[in-house]
Amino acid sequence: MNVINKSNVAPGSKDVSDSAPKGNTDKKRFTPFLLAGAPFTFLLIFFVIPAILLLISSFWLSKSFTMIPAATIANYARALGASGFYDSLWISMQNGFWTALLSTVLSAPVAYYIAYKTRSNTILYLALVSWFSSYLVRVYAWRTILGSTGVINSTLMQWGLIDTPIEWIVFNKFAVVITLVHIMLPFTLLLLVSGLRDVKKDYLEACADLGGSGYVALRKVIIPMAHKSIVSSFMFTFVLAAADYVTPQLLGGRDAMTTGLLIANQFRTVGNWPLGAAMAYILLLVFMMVYGALLLFLRTVNLAPGKRYHD
Amino acid sequence: MTRLFTYFYMLFLYAPIGLIVLFSFHSSPSLSLPFEGVSLRWYEAIFNSYDFRTSLYNSLIVAGASAVVTTILGTLSALALMRMKGRAKSTFAFLNFAPIAMPGLFLGIALVILFSLINLPRSLVTITIGHTLFTLPFFVESVRSRLEYFDLSFEEAARDLGASPIKAFWLVTLPIIGPTIAGAAILTVALSLDEFLITVFVTGTDTTLPLLILSMIRRAVDPSINAASVIMLGMTIGIIGVAGLVMTMRRRRIELERNGE
Repeated sequence: MNVINKSNVAPGSKDVSDSAPKGNTDKKRFTPFLLAGAPFTFLLIFFVIPAILLLISSFWLSKSFTMIPAATIANYARALGASGFYDSLWISMQNGFWTALLSTVLSAPVAYYIAYKTRSNTILYLALVSWFSSYLVRVYAWRTILGSTGVINSTLMQWGLIDTPIEWIVFNKFAVVITLVHIMLPFTLLLLVSGLRDVKKDYLEACADLGGSGYVALRKVIIPMAHKSIVSSFMFTFVLAAADYVTPQLLGGRDAMTTGLLIANQFRTVGNWPLGAAMAYILLLVFMMVYGALLLFLRTVNLAPGKRYHD
Repeated sequence: MTRLFTYFYMLFLYAPIGLIVLFSFHSSPSLSLPFEGVSLRWYEAIFNSYDFRTSLYNSLIVAGASAVVTTILGTLSALALMRMKGRAKSTFAFLNFAPIAMPGLFLGIALVILFSLINLPRSLVTITIGHTLFTLPFFVESVRSRLEYFDLSFEEAARDLGASPIKAFWLVTLPIIGPTIAGAAILTVALSLDEFLITVFVTGTDTTLPLLILSMIRRAVDPSINAASVIMLGMTIGIIGVAGLVMTMRRRRIELERNGE
Protein backbone atom coordinates (compact mmCIF):
# COMPACT_ATOMS: atom_id res chain seq x y z
CA MET A 1 0.00 0.00 0.00
CA ASN A 2 0.85 3.66 0.03
CA VAL A 3 2.94 3.54 3.11
CA ILE A 4 5.22 0.86 1.81
CA ASN A 5 5.67 2.69 -1.47
CA LYS A 6 6.59 5.89 0.27
CA SER A 7 9.52 4.26 1.91
CA ASN A 8 10.88 3.45 -1.52
CA VAL A 9 10.83 7.02 -2.71
CA ALA A 10 14.39 7.92 -1.94
CA PRO A 11 16.44 5.00 -0.73
CA GLY A 12 19.59 6.37 0.83
CA SER A 13 19.29 9.68 -0.95
CA LYS A 14 20.33 11.56 2.16
CA ASP A 15 23.65 10.52 3.56
CA VAL A 16 23.59 9.82 7.27
CA SER A 17 26.75 11.80 7.95
CA ASP A 18 25.20 14.92 6.41
CA SER A 19 22.52 15.41 8.98
CA ALA A 20 24.15 13.94 12.04
CA PRO A 21 26.53 15.89 14.23
CA LYS A 22 30.11 14.72 14.04
CA GLY A 23 31.21 12.03 16.45
CA ASN A 24 27.64 10.92 16.96
CA THR A 25 27.43 9.10 13.65
CA ASP A 26 28.11 5.56 14.79
CA LYS A 27 25.68 5.77 17.64
CA LYS A 28 22.97 7.14 15.39
CA ARG A 29 23.33 4.35 12.94
CA PHE A 30 22.70 1.78 15.65
CA THR A 31 19.75 3.39 17.44
CA PRO A 32 17.01 2.39 14.98
CA PHE A 33 18.04 -1.24 15.19
CA LEU A 34 18.16 -1.04 18.96
CA LEU A 35 14.64 0.39 18.99
CA ALA A 36 13.41 -2.16 16.48
CA GLY A 37 14.74 -5.04 18.56
CA ALA A 38 11.69 -5.77 20.72
CA PRO A 39 8.96 -5.46 18.06
CA PHE A 40 11.15 -7.35 15.60
CA THR A 41 11.57 -10.21 18.08
CA PHE A 42 7.83 -10.28 18.76
CA LEU A 43 6.96 -10.41 15.06
CA LEU A 44 9.66 -13.01 14.44
CA ILE A 45 8.42 -15.35 17.18
CA PHE A 46 4.68 -14.88 16.74
CA PHE A 47 4.36 -14.16 13.02
CA VAL A 48 7.30 -15.35 10.93
CA ILE A 49 8.09 -18.54 12.83
CA PRO A 50 4.42 -19.65 13.13
CA ALA A 51 3.99 -19.10 9.38
CA ILE A 52 7.03 -21.32 8.75
CA LEU A 53 5.80 -23.91 11.26
CA LEU A 54 2.43 -23.92 9.50
CA LEU A 55 4.21 -24.66 6.21
CA ILE A 56 6.38 -27.38 7.77
CA SER A 57 3.47 -29.04 9.55
CA SER A 58 1.53 -29.21 6.29
CA PHE A 59 3.98 -31.99 5.35
CA TRP A 60 3.39 -33.85 8.62
CA LEU A 61 0.90 -36.55 9.51
CA SER A 62 -1.77 -36.52 12.15
CA LYS A 63 -3.34 -38.91 14.57
CA SER A 64 -6.27 -37.59 16.62
CA PHE A 65 -5.12 -34.04 17.42
CA THR A 66 -1.41 -34.96 17.67
CA MET A 67 0.96 -34.16 14.86
CA ILE A 68 3.56 -36.66 13.75
CA PRO A 69 6.64 -35.21 12.01
CA ALA A 70 7.03 -36.57 8.51
CA ALA A 71 7.89 -35.42 5.01
CA THR A 72 4.94 -36.31 2.90
CA ILE A 73 2.73 -34.54 0.40
CA ALA A 74 -0.18 -36.76 1.45
CA ASN A 75 -2.15 -33.80 2.86
CA TYR A 76 -1.88 -31.82 -0.36
CA ALA A 77 -2.81 -34.91 -2.37
CA ARG A 78 -5.77 -35.56 -0.11
CA ALA A 79 -7.07 -32.01 -0.26
CA LEU A 80 -6.63 -31.71 -4.02
CA GLY A 81 -8.09 -35.18 -4.58
CA ALA A 82 -11.39 -34.46 -2.84
CA SER A 83 -14.22 -32.90 -4.84
CA GLY A 84 -15.56 -31.30 -1.64
CA PHE A 85 -12.43 -29.18 -1.47
CA TYR A 86 -13.01 -27.77 -4.96
CA ASP A 87 -16.65 -27.09 -4.10
CA SER A 88 -15.57 -25.15 -1.01
CA LEU A 89 -12.96 -23.27 -3.02
CA TRP A 90 -15.58 -22.33 -5.60
CA ILE A 91 -17.93 -20.98 -2.90
CA SER A 92 -15.06 -19.06 -1.27
CA MET A 93 -14.00 -17.52 -4.57
CA GLN A 94 -17.57 -16.46 -5.35
CA ASN A 95 -17.97 -14.91 -1.90
CA GLY A 96 -14.65 -13.13 -2.31
CA PHE A 97 -15.28 -11.94 -5.87
CA TRP A 98 -18.79 -10.58 -5.39
CA THR A 99 -17.98 -9.00 -2.04
CA ALA A 100 -14.85 -7.31 -3.39
CA LEU A 101 -16.54 -6.15 -6.59
CA LEU A 102 -19.67 -4.79 -4.90
CA SER A 103 -17.79 -3.14 -2.03
CA THR A 104 -15.34 -1.41 -4.35
CA VAL A 105 -17.96 -0.33 -6.89
CA LEU A 106 -20.42 0.91 -4.25
CA SER A 107 -17.74 2.79 -2.31
CA ALA A 108 -16.32 4.50 -5.41
CA PRO A 109 -19.03 7.21 -5.81
CA VAL A 110 -18.92 7.92 -2.08
CA ALA A 111 -15.13 8.21 -2.18
CA TYR A 112 -15.51 10.58 -5.14
CA TYR A 113 -18.02 12.66 -3.17
CA ILE A 114 -15.73 12.81 -0.13
CA ALA A 115 -12.60 13.59 -2.14
CA TYR A 116 -13.98 16.28 -4.49
CA LYS A 117 -17.45 17.45 -3.49
CA THR A 118 -17.36 18.07 0.23
CA ARG A 119 -14.81 19.70 2.46
CA SER A 120 -15.87 18.02 5.68
CA ASN A 121 -14.62 14.67 6.85
CA THR A 122 -17.81 13.82 8.76
CA ILE A 123 -18.98 11.15 6.35
CA LEU A 124 -15.60 9.43 6.32
CA TYR A 125 -15.48 9.46 10.13
CA LEU A 126 -19.01 8.10 10.40
CA ALA A 127 -18.18 5.30 7.98
CA LEU A 128 -15.04 4.48 9.96
CA VAL A 129 -16.98 4.35 13.22
CA SER A 130 -19.26 1.77 11.65
CA TRP A 131 -16.16 -0.17 10.57
CA PHE A 132 -15.12 -0.43 14.19
CA SER A 133 -18.56 -1.41 15.36
CA SER A 134 -18.34 -5.09 15.93
CA TYR A 135 -18.13 -7.44 12.97
CA LEU A 136 -20.08 -10.06 14.86
CA VAL A 137 -22.90 -7.69 15.79
CA ARG A 138 -23.33 -6.85 12.13
CA VAL A 139 -23.45 -10.52 11.15
CA TYR A 140 -26.08 -10.97 13.83
CA ALA A 141 -27.99 -7.92 12.56
CA TRP A 142 -28.27 -9.44 9.10
CA ARG A 143 -29.36 -12.73 10.58
CA THR A 144 -32.04 -10.80 12.42
CA ILE A 145 -33.15 -9.07 9.23
CA LEU A 146 -33.02 -11.99 6.80
CA GLY A 147 -33.68 -15.02 9.05
CA SER A 148 -36.76 -17.19 8.72
CA THR A 149 -38.07 -15.69 11.97
CA GLY A 150 -36.36 -12.41 11.12
CA VAL A 151 -37.63 -8.92 10.60
CA ILE A 152 -38.59 -9.19 6.93
CA ASN A 153 -40.34 -12.54 7.19
CA SER A 154 -42.17 -12.01 10.47
CA THR A 155 -43.30 -8.52 9.50
CA LEU A 156 -44.61 -9.73 6.17
CA MET A 157 -46.39 -12.60 7.93
CA GLN A 158 -47.90 -10.28 10.50
CA TRP A 159 -49.26 -8.06 7.78
CA GLY A 160 -50.76 -11.16 6.20
CA LEU A 161 -48.85 -10.75 2.95
CA ILE A 162 -47.34 -14.23 3.20
CA ASP A 163 -48.28 -17.36 5.14
CA THR A 164 -44.92 -19.09 5.42
CA PRO A 165 -41.45 -17.54 5.65
CA ILE A 166 -39.83 -16.85 2.29
CA GLU A 167 -36.93 -19.25 2.33
CA TRP A 168 -34.90 -17.81 -0.52
CA ILE A 169 -33.95 -14.65 1.33
CA VAL A 170 -32.40 -16.49 4.25
CA PHE A 171 -29.30 -18.58 4.51
CA ASN A 172 -27.79 -18.56 1.07
CA LYS A 173 -24.99 -17.02 -0.94
CA PHE A 174 -26.88 -13.75 -1.30
CA ALA A 175 -27.21 -13.37 2.47
CA VAL A 176 -23.49 -14.06 2.93
CA VAL A 177 -22.43 -11.57 0.25
CA ILE A 178 -24.73 -8.76 1.45
CA THR A 179 -23.42 -9.20 5.00
CA LEU A 180 -19.78 -9.28 3.92
CA VAL A 181 -20.33 -6.21 1.72
CA HIS A 182 -21.83 -4.41 4.69
CA ILE A 183 -18.79 -5.34 6.78
CA MET A 184 -16.17 -4.43 4.14
CA LEU A 185 -17.65 -1.17 2.76
CA PRO A 186 -15.99 1.23 5.25
CA PHE A 187 -12.61 -0.38 4.67
CA THR A 188 -12.82 -0.08 0.87
CA LEU A 189 -14.04 3.50 1.29
CA LEU A 190 -10.99 4.42 3.37
CA LEU A 191 -8.59 2.93 0.80
CA LEU A 192 -10.36 4.56 -2.16
CA VAL A 193 -10.49 7.99 -0.51
CA SER A 194 -6.77 7.86 0.22
CA GLY A 195 -6.21 6.85 -3.41
CA LEU A 196 -8.34 9.69 -4.80
CA ARG A 197 -6.58 12.25 -2.61
CA ASP A 198 -3.50 11.62 -4.79
CA VAL A 199 -5.46 12.57 -7.91
CA LYS A 200 -5.46 16.36 -7.64
CA LYS A 201 -8.55 18.22 -8.75
CA ASP A 202 -6.34 20.16 -11.21
CA TYR A 203 -5.92 17.03 -13.31
CA LEU A 204 -9.68 16.59 -13.56
CA GLU A 205 -10.10 20.25 -14.49
CA ALA A 206 -7.36 19.93 -17.10
CA CYS A 207 -9.15 16.92 -18.52
CA ALA A 208 -12.43 18.84 -18.69
CA ASP A 209 -10.73 21.88 -20.28
CA LEU A 210 -9.38 19.64 -23.00
CA GLY A 211 -12.89 18.48 -23.75
CA GLY A 212 -12.86 15.18 -21.88
CA SER A 213 -16.24 13.92 -20.69
CA GLY A 214 -16.84 12.47 -17.26
CA TYR A 215 -16.32 8.99 -18.67
CA VAL A 216 -12.99 9.98 -20.21
CA ALA A 217 -11.87 11.51 -16.88
CA LEU A 218 -12.72 8.26 -15.12
CA ARG A 219 -11.17 6.00 -17.75
CA LYS A 220 -8.05 8.03 -18.57
CA VAL A 221 -7.29 9.97 -15.39
CA ILE A 222 -8.90 8.72 -12.19
CA ILE A 223 -8.63 4.95 -12.55
CA PRO A 224 -5.08 4.83 -13.96
CA MET A 225 -3.83 7.24 -11.30
CA ALA A 226 -5.64 5.63 -8.39
CA HIS A 227 -5.26 2.06 -9.61
CA LYS A 228 -3.03 1.04 -6.72
CA SER A 229 -5.64 1.83 -4.11
CA ILE A 230 -8.36 0.25 -6.27
CA VAL A 231 -6.32 -2.95 -6.51
CA SER A 232 -5.57 -3.00 -2.78
CA SER A 233 -9.20 -2.29 -1.93
CA PHE A 234 -10.33 -5.15 -4.16
CA MET A 235 -7.66 -7.61 -3.04
CA PHE A 236 -7.96 -6.97 0.70
CA THR A 237 -11.70 -7.38 0.54
CA PHE A 238 -11.37 -10.45 -1.65
CA VAL A 239 -8.95 -12.18 0.72
CA LEU A 240 -10.82 -11.28 3.90
CA ALA A 241 -14.20 -12.31 2.46
CA ALA A 242 -12.97 -15.50 0.78
CA ALA A 243 -11.17 -16.73 3.88
CA ASP A 244 -14.06 -15.89 6.23
CA TYR A 245 -15.42 -18.82 8.15
CA VAL A 246 -17.96 -17.23 10.50
CA THR A 247 -20.33 -15.32 8.22
CA PRO A 248 -20.88 -18.28 5.84
CA GLN A 249 -21.45 -20.53 8.81
CA LEU A 250 -24.06 -18.25 10.36
CA LEU A 251 -25.79 -17.16 7.16
CA GLY A 252 -24.73 -19.46 4.36
CA GLY A 253 -27.13 -22.37 4.82
CA ARG A 254 -26.28 -24.95 2.18
CA ASP A 255 -23.45 -22.77 0.84
CA ALA A 256 -21.76 -22.54 4.23
CA MET A 257 -18.83 -24.86 3.59
CA THR A 258 -16.16 -22.44 2.44
CA THR A 259 -12.50 -23.36 2.40
CA GLY A 260 -12.05 -21.13 5.45
CA LEU A 261 -14.63 -23.13 7.40
CA LEU A 262 -13.10 -26.39 6.14
CA ILE A 263 -9.70 -25.26 7.49
CA ALA A 264 -11.18 -24.00 10.78
CA ASN A 265 -12.94 -27.33 11.28
CA GLN A 266 -9.69 -29.26 10.82
CA PHE A 267 -8.34 -27.32 13.76
CA ARG A 268 -11.38 -27.20 16.00
CA THR A 269 -13.39 -30.38 15.52
CA VAL A 270 -11.73 -32.86 13.17
CA GLY A 271 -8.29 -32.49 14.71
CA ASN A 272 -6.26 -33.05 11.54
CA TRP A 273 -4.01 -30.01 11.80
CA PRO A 274 -1.53 -30.94 9.04
CA LEU A 275 -4.40 -31.32 6.55
CA GLY A 276 -5.76 -27.93 7.62
CA ALA A 277 -2.31 -26.39 7.22
CA ALA A 278 -1.99 -27.82 3.70
CA MET A 279 -5.41 -26.42 2.77
CA ALA A 280 -4.40 -23.01 4.16
CA TYR A 281 -1.32 -22.91 1.94
CA ILE A 282 -3.30 -23.99 -1.11
CA LEU A 283 -5.76 -21.18 -0.38
CA LEU A 284 -2.88 -18.72 0.00
CA LEU A 285 -1.52 -19.82 -3.38
CA VAL A 286 -4.96 -19.31 -4.95
CA PHE A 287 -5.07 -15.79 -3.48
CA MET A 288 -1.73 -15.01 -5.09
CA MET A 289 -2.96 -16.33 -8.42
CA VAL A 290 -6.07 -14.13 -8.18
CA TYR A 291 -3.84 -11.14 -7.42
CA GLY A 292 -1.66 -11.89 -10.45
CA ALA A 293 -4.72 -12.35 -12.65
CA LEU A 294 -6.18 -9.03 -11.48
CA LEU A 295 -2.96 -7.14 -12.26
CA LEU A 296 -2.73 -8.82 -15.65
CA PHE A 297 -6.34 -7.92 -16.39
CA LEU A 298 -5.88 -4.25 -15.49
CA ARG A 299 -2.70 -4.05 -17.63
CA THR A 300 -4.43 -5.65 -20.60
CA VAL A 301 -7.37 -3.26 -20.55
CA ASN A 302 -4.85 -0.46 -20.06
CA LEU A 303 -6.13 0.72 -16.69
CA ALA A 304 -2.92 0.14 -14.78
CA PRO A 305 -0.02 2.00 -16.30
CA GLY A 306 3.45 0.59 -15.83
CA LYS A 307 4.85 4.01 -15.04
CA ARG A 308 3.73 6.45 -12.37
CA TYR A 309 2.27 9.80 -13.25
CA HIS A 310 2.79 11.42 -9.89
CA ASP A 311 5.36 11.34 -7.12
CA MET B 1 -26.34 12.72 -7.43
CA THR B 2 -23.28 11.42 -5.65
CA ARG B 3 -24.56 13.21 -2.54
CA LEU B 4 -27.85 11.32 -2.64
CA PHE B 5 -25.99 8.06 -3.21
CA THR B 6 -23.75 8.85 -0.24
CA TYR B 7 -26.78 9.29 2.00
CA PHE B 8 -28.17 5.92 0.92
CA TYR B 9 -24.76 4.38 1.50
CA MET B 10 -24.66 5.70 5.06
CA LEU B 11 -28.22 4.53 5.62
CA PHE B 12 -27.23 1.05 4.48
CA LEU B 13 -24.26 1.11 6.88
CA TYR B 14 -26.24 2.20 9.89
CA ALA B 15 -29.75 0.76 9.45
CA PRO B 16 -28.89 -2.81 10.52
CA ILE B 17 -27.02 -1.52 13.55
CA GLY B 18 -29.93 0.78 14.42
CA LEU B 19 -32.30 -2.16 14.17
CA ILE B 20 -30.32 -4.13 16.75
CA VAL B 21 -30.32 -1.16 19.11
CA LEU B 22 -34.08 -0.80 18.60
CA PHE B 23 -34.86 -4.47 19.32
CA SER B 24 -32.63 -4.50 22.39
CA PHE B 25 -35.25 -2.23 24.00
CA HIS B 26 -38.23 -4.22 22.71
CA SER B 27 -40.55 -5.40 25.45
CA SER B 28 -41.58 -8.52 23.53
CA PRO B 29 -39.22 -11.24 22.33
CA SER B 30 -40.56 -11.03 18.79
CA LEU B 31 -38.31 -9.52 16.15
CA SER B 32 -41.03 -7.98 14.06
CA LEU B 33 -42.54 -4.58 13.44
CA PRO B 34 -44.68 -2.88 14.70
CA PHE B 35 -42.83 -2.10 17.87
CA GLU B 36 -44.79 -3.16 20.93
CA GLY B 37 -43.20 -1.26 23.79
CA VAL B 38 -39.98 -0.25 25.48
CA SER B 39 -38.35 -2.22 28.27
CA LEU B 40 -34.95 -2.89 29.75
CA ARG B 41 -35.66 -6.57 30.48
CA TRP B 42 -33.01 -7.91 28.08
CA TYR B 43 -30.35 -5.73 29.66
CA GLU B 44 -31.41 -6.99 33.07
CA ALA B 45 -31.26 -10.57 31.82
CA ILE B 46 -27.81 -10.17 30.34
CA PHE B 47 -26.32 -8.43 33.37
CA ASN B 48 -27.67 -11.17 35.61
CA SER B 49 -25.90 -13.77 33.50
CA TYR B 50 -22.71 -15.07 35.08
CA ASP B 51 -21.29 -16.01 31.65
CA PHE B 52 -21.76 -12.48 30.43
CA ARG B 53 -20.00 -10.87 33.36
CA THR B 54 -17.09 -13.33 33.20
CA SER B 55 -16.60 -12.86 29.48
CA LEU B 56 -16.88 -9.08 29.77
CA TYR B 57 -14.22 -9.18 32.48
CA ASN B 58 -11.96 -11.41 30.34
CA SER B 59 -12.41 -9.13 27.35
CA LEU B 60 -11.46 -6.07 29.36
CA ILE B 61 -8.36 -7.78 30.81
CA VAL B 62 -7.20 -8.92 27.36
CA ALA B 63 -7.95 -5.54 25.78
CA GLY B 64 -6.02 -3.72 28.50
CA ALA B 65 -3.05 -6.09 28.35
CA SER B 66 -2.82 -6.13 24.56
CA ALA B 67 -3.17 -2.33 24.45
CA VAL B 68 -0.21 -1.97 26.82
CA VAL B 69 1.98 -4.45 24.92
CA THR B 70 0.94 -3.06 21.52
CA THR B 71 1.62 0.51 22.61
CA ILE B 72 5.13 -0.31 23.81
CA LEU B 73 6.06 -2.44 20.80
CA GLY B 74 4.28 -0.19 18.32
CA THR B 75 5.92 2.98 19.62
CA LEU B 76 9.33 1.33 19.41
CA SER B 77 8.56 0.26 15.83
CA ALA B 78 7.41 3.73 14.84
CA LEU B 79 10.44 5.39 16.46
CA ALA B 80 12.72 2.95 14.67
CA LEU B 81 11.01 3.51 11.31
CA MET B 82 11.43 7.29 11.67
CA ARG B 83 15.17 6.77 11.88
CA MET B 84 15.61 3.98 9.33
CA LYS B 85 16.51 4.42 5.71
CA GLY B 86 16.52 2.48 2.49
CA ARG B 87 16.05 -1.26 2.38
CA ALA B 88 16.11 -1.81 6.15
CA LYS B 89 13.19 0.60 6.47
CA SER B 90 11.07 -0.96 3.75
CA THR B 91 11.74 -4.48 5.05
CA PHE B 92 10.86 -3.57 8.62
CA ALA B 93 7.80 -1.58 7.50
CA PHE B 94 6.64 -4.59 5.50
CA LEU B 95 7.09 -6.92 8.49
CA ASN B 96 5.08 -4.55 10.66
CA PHE B 97 2.33 -4.33 8.08
CA ALA B 98 2.14 -7.96 6.91
CA PRO B 99 -0.15 -9.38 9.63
CA ILE B 100 -3.01 -7.10 8.46
CA ALA B 101 -2.84 -8.65 5.01
CA MET B 102 -3.36 -12.12 6.47
CA PRO B 103 -6.88 -13.26 7.28
CA GLY B 104 -7.42 -13.85 11.02
CA LEU B 105 -7.96 -17.53 10.28
CA PHE B 106 -4.35 -17.94 9.09
CA LEU B 107 -2.89 -16.06 12.06
CA GLY B 108 -5.00 -18.13 14.44
CA ILE B 109 -4.04 -21.56 13.10
CA ALA B 110 -0.36 -20.61 12.76
CA LEU B 111 -0.28 -19.42 16.39
CA VAL B 112 -2.06 -22.51 17.69
CA ILE B 113 0.56 -24.73 16.04
CA LEU B 114 3.35 -22.70 17.66
CA PHE B 115 1.68 -22.82 21.08
CA SER B 116 1.16 -26.56 20.94
CA LEU B 117 4.73 -27.24 19.75
CA ILE B 118 6.26 -25.19 22.58
CA ASN B 119 3.70 -26.57 25.04
CA LEU B 120 2.32 -23.19 26.00
CA PRO B 121 -1.10 -23.82 27.58
CA ARG B 122 -3.85 -21.74 26.01
CA SER B 123 -5.13 -19.03 28.32
CA LEU B 124 -5.75 -15.30 28.47
CA VAL B 125 -2.00 -14.91 27.83
CA THR B 126 -2.18 -16.65 24.46
CA ILE B 127 -5.28 -14.61 23.59
CA THR B 128 -3.35 -11.44 24.43
CA ILE B 129 -0.50 -12.54 22.16
CA GLY B 130 -2.97 -13.18 19.34
CA HIS B 131 -4.64 -9.83 19.80
CA THR B 132 -1.32 -7.99 19.95
CA LEU B 133 -0.30 -9.57 16.64
CA PHE B 134 -3.56 -8.30 15.16
CA THR B 135 -3.49 -4.79 16.66
CA LEU B 136 0.23 -4.01 16.26
CA PRO B 137 0.03 -3.33 12.48
CA PHE B 138 -2.97 -1.03 12.96
CA PHE B 139 -1.15 0.82 15.71
CA VAL B 140 2.04 1.27 13.67
CA GLU B 141 0.15 2.37 10.54
CA SER B 142 -1.96 4.94 12.37
CA VAL B 143 0.98 6.36 14.34
CA ARG B 144 3.48 6.35 11.46
CA SER B 145 1.59 8.64 9.11
CA ARG B 146 1.59 11.35 11.79
CA LEU B 147 5.11 10.68 13.03
CA GLU B 148 6.52 11.22 9.54
CA TYR B 149 6.21 14.95 10.29
CA PHE B 150 8.16 14.78 13.54
CA ASP B 151 11.39 16.71 13.24
CA LEU B 152 14.25 14.58 14.53
CA SER B 153 16.42 17.66 14.98
CA PHE B 154 14.49 18.54 18.17
CA GLU B 155 15.81 15.35 19.67
CA GLU B 156 19.30 16.00 18.37
CA ALA B 157 19.24 19.46 19.93
CA ALA B 158 18.40 17.94 23.31
CA ARG B 159 21.22 15.42 22.86
CA ASP B 160 23.69 18.17 21.93
CA LEU B 161 22.71 20.03 25.09
CA GLY B 162 23.74 16.97 27.09
CA ALA B 163 20.52 15.01 27.60
CA SER B 164 20.78 11.23 27.71
CA PRO B 165 18.81 9.38 24.97
CA ILE B 166 16.13 8.42 27.49
CA LYS B 167 15.89 11.92 28.88
CA ALA B 168 15.67 13.40 25.39
CA PHE B 169 12.85 10.97 24.59
CA TRP B 170 11.03 11.69 27.84
CA LEU B 171 11.31 15.49 27.74
CA VAL B 172 11.19 16.20 24.01
CA THR B 173 9.87 13.39 21.85
CA LEU B 174 7.15 11.97 24.09
CA PRO B 175 5.30 15.25 24.75
CA ILE B 176 5.12 15.83 21.00
CA ILE B 177 4.09 12.34 19.88
CA GLY B 178 2.16 11.51 23.09
CA PRO B 179 -1.38 12.38 21.95
CA THR B 180 -0.96 10.44 18.70
CA ILE B 181 0.18 7.42 20.66
CA ALA B 182 -2.66 7.78 23.15
CA GLY B 183 -5.19 7.91 20.31
CA ALA B 184 -3.75 4.80 18.70
CA ALA B 185 -3.64 2.98 22.04
CA ILE B 186 -7.35 3.63 22.58
CA LEU B 187 -8.01 2.34 19.07
CA THR B 188 -6.16 -0.83 20.04
CA VAL B 189 -8.54 -1.40 22.94
CA ALA B 190 -11.51 -1.16 20.57
CA LEU B 191 -9.93 -3.58 18.07
CA SER B 192 -9.12 -6.09 20.80
CA LEU B 193 -12.63 -5.97 22.28
CA ASP B 194 -14.02 -6.94 18.86
CA GLU B 195 -11.51 -9.59 17.83
CA PHE B 196 -12.70 -13.16 17.58
CA LEU B 197 -11.39 -14.72 14.33
CA ILE B 198 -8.02 -15.38 16.00
CA THR B 199 -9.42 -15.78 19.53
CA VAL B 200 -11.46 -18.81 18.50
CA PHE B 201 -8.20 -20.73 17.98
CA VAL B 202 -5.94 -19.40 20.71
CA THR B 203 -8.39 -19.60 23.59
CA GLY B 204 -8.38 -22.46 26.06
CA THR B 205 -11.45 -22.54 28.27
CA ASP B 206 -11.77 -18.76 28.60
CA THR B 207 -14.60 -16.92 26.92
CA THR B 208 -14.39 -13.37 25.67
CA LEU B 209 -17.41 -11.19 24.92
CA PRO B 210 -17.41 -11.82 21.13
CA LEU B 211 -17.00 -15.57 21.74
CA LEU B 212 -20.00 -15.50 24.09
CA ILE B 213 -22.10 -13.63 21.53
CA LEU B 214 -20.98 -16.08 18.82
CA SER B 215 -22.08 -19.04 20.92
CA MET B 216 -25.38 -17.31 21.77
CA ILE B 217 -26.06 -16.72 18.08
CA ARG B 218 -25.31 -20.37 17.32
CA ARG B 219 -27.50 -21.68 20.10
CA ALA B 220 -30.83 -19.99 19.61
CA VAL B 221 -32.67 -16.80 18.93
CA ASP B 222 -32.40 -15.24 22.34
CA PRO B 223 -33.38 -11.55 22.43
CA SER B 224 -30.78 -10.84 25.11
CA ILE B 225 -28.16 -11.18 22.30
CA ASN B 226 -29.45 -7.79 21.17
CA ALA B 227 -28.67 -6.28 24.55
CA ALA B 228 -25.23 -7.93 24.69
CA SER B 229 -24.52 -6.66 21.16
CA VAL B 230 -25.55 -3.12 22.03
CA ILE B 231 -23.31 -3.15 25.10
CA MET B 232 -20.40 -4.25 22.92
CA LEU B 233 -21.25 -1.65 20.27
CA GLY B 234 -21.54 1.03 22.92
CA MET B 235 -18.12 0.15 24.31
CA THR B 236 -16.32 0.20 20.95
CA ILE B 237 -18.07 3.30 19.62
CA GLY B 238 -17.54 5.07 22.95
CA ILE B 239 -13.85 4.18 22.83
CA ILE B 240 -13.53 5.44 19.23
CA GLY B 241 -15.23 8.65 20.33
CA VAL B 242 -12.68 9.12 23.11
CA ALA B 243 -9.84 8.46 20.63
CA GLY B 244 -11.29 11.05 18.27
CA LEU B 245 -11.60 13.53 21.13
CA VAL B 246 -7.96 13.01 22.15
CA MET B 247 -6.88 13.69 18.56
CA THR B 248 -9.05 16.83 18.23
CA MET B 249 -7.89 18.20 21.56
CA ARG B 250 -4.33 17.79 20.38
CA ARG B 251 -5.05 19.66 17.16
CA ARG B 252 -6.76 22.45 19.07
CA ARG B 253 -3.86 22.76 21.46
CA ILE B 254 -1.42 23.05 18.57
CA GLU B 255 -3.61 25.74 17.02
CA LEU B 256 -3.73 27.64 20.30
CA GLU B 257 0.03 27.45 20.63
CA ARG B 258 0.47 28.69 17.08
CA ASN B 259 -1.84 31.62 17.68
CA GLY B 260 0.00 32.45 20.90
CA GLU B 261 3.31 32.84 19.12
